[in-house]
Amino acid sequence: MTGSLQDKSARLRMLARSGIWISLFGGLLLPWSIMLAVEILLRDVPLQRAWRSFTLHLFAPGYNLFLVGLLTALPFVILAASILFHLGTAPAHNILIAHRRAFGLFSAALLMVLIAGWIHIDVLIHPDAQGALAYFYLPILLLMVLPLGYGLGRGLAKLFLPRVPL
Amino acid sequence: MTAASPSQNILSSREIRLHLLGLVLVLGFLGLWYWLSTGARAVPTLIELLKDDDPSTRIVAAEQLGHIGPAARSAVSHLVSQATQDGSQHANSTAAAALKSIDLTAARGVMTYFLPHLHDPDVQQRRTACAVIGSLGPVAKPAVPALLVAARDADALVRRNSLIALSAIGIPSQPIGAALLDGLRDSSSLVRQTAVAQWAFTVPLSQEAVAVLTPTLNDPDKSIATLARTALDKPRAADAAHIGSLGIMLAHASARDYALHQLAQLGPAAGEALSPIVSLLEDEHPLIRYLAVETIGGMGAAGQPALPVLRRHRDSDPVVQAAVTEALRAMESAAAAAPSSKEASP
Repeated sequence: MTGSLQDKSARLRMLARSGIWISLFGGLLLPWSIMLAVEILLRDVPLQRAWRSFTLHLFAPGYNLFLVGLLTALPFVILAASILFHLGTAPAHNILIAHRRAFGLFSAALLMVLIAGWIHIDVLIHPDAQGALAYFYLPILLLMVLPLGYGLGRGLAKLFLPRVPL
Repeated sequence: MTAASPSQNILSSREIRLHLLGLVLVLGFLGLWYWLSTGARAVPTLIELLKDDDPSTRIVAAEQLGHIGPAARSAVSHLVSQATQDGSQHANSTAAAALKSIDLTAARGVMTYFLPHLHDPDVQQRRTACAVIGSLGPVAKPAVPALLVAARDADALVRRNSLIALSAIGIPSQPIGAALLDGLRDSSSLVRQTAVAQWAFTVPLSQEAVAVLTPTLNDPDKSIATLARTALDKPRAADAAHIGSLGIMLAHASARDYALHQLAQLGPAAGEALSPIVSLLEDEHPLIRYLAVETIGGMGAAGQPALPVLRRHRDSDPVVQAAVTEALRAMESAAAAAPSSKEASP
């Protein structure tokens, strides 16, 4: 392999490694961060009180913020596994294929984060009796978005990535 | 000279295996965290939280302990203390509500503590007493006569709290239903609204209630009229399909206490669901066993097939055992009265 190819391959390796863990922990921490941010920024609750209330309700019946986080994280675990098995197994000598896969997965992750973030913020800002149902439908929605986002990213990569000889 | 040969793929198969193991370990850790923080394992931590300076912490801890149920027995003394001594009424109520799911004797103790407060000259004491006794639910059945008196208190908030407490207790349904119908004619719109809300969301709808609620549809207070509409749209107490649904709900742990509490208020009509109710006499939760006994006892003649089971039943909980004795006495006297009334009739 040429030096340039090795560099690109190393960057993709780093991207795959970090993508797996960012996806897992990002999916888990996203709803919790939004809950805290809404309390602090929109409801003017001091950080210390918001944190205390959050930890108190992690396992409280009727709140179960831990399970809310876990439910949202599930599709991101699938995304992490996709990065591991799909991007991780891309041939190191054919960077174009790896780039297209990386674009697809990045596009899926971006769409999933946007949708999960929007739904969590909406449920918290407009709470109602049925709002919590969104937490159960969200993982299913995100799982459907994963292949759609991947296809979109992959398509865009095919259109715009230069087909340079490697 | 040997150099690490570059992998054919972006990640080597060894790296993939290690990352996969890492993912599984993180998920396992999250599962372990959840397991350690819920159920009986969380009781010592929750007991510590009951001692917190912040009332909202004590409230959430009490709610969680109630959710754990009989396995949280070691928290009973702390919960009794919170139910009776805490300065926050909400903390008192949540601790009392938790006790009914953990220890019926302790719950009755809280009821006994608050009964004299229903006659306290301090109006706030009377309001709190109604709220705490109500949070004990059907376990506070012996407090019904005192609450019926409180439902005629001079203070509107005491009357409102007593109506909420009465509908939370629910049994015996006849005097409670009568008090709620009286509440519909109260001088305070707050009390009227509370009374109609109980018919809409808590107590089963009797024919008598339908007759009284129907004119309320034209109440000038829109919220009262809307609640009356909600109440009248509910299935009627004697509706066979509704009783069938409640019978089915008995099989689901999350809906069981609600369904049983509704059936306990239906009297003889609940006889349609007798078989699943009898099987609940062996439930691990004393509150469920208590409600099952009260429901069978309230059925009168319709509950007669359950008499042999009730006679054999020896309950470890003294409150449930006392309810069994009372139910047997009521059912046997009803059975004895039935033939004599038949003989008297031509």
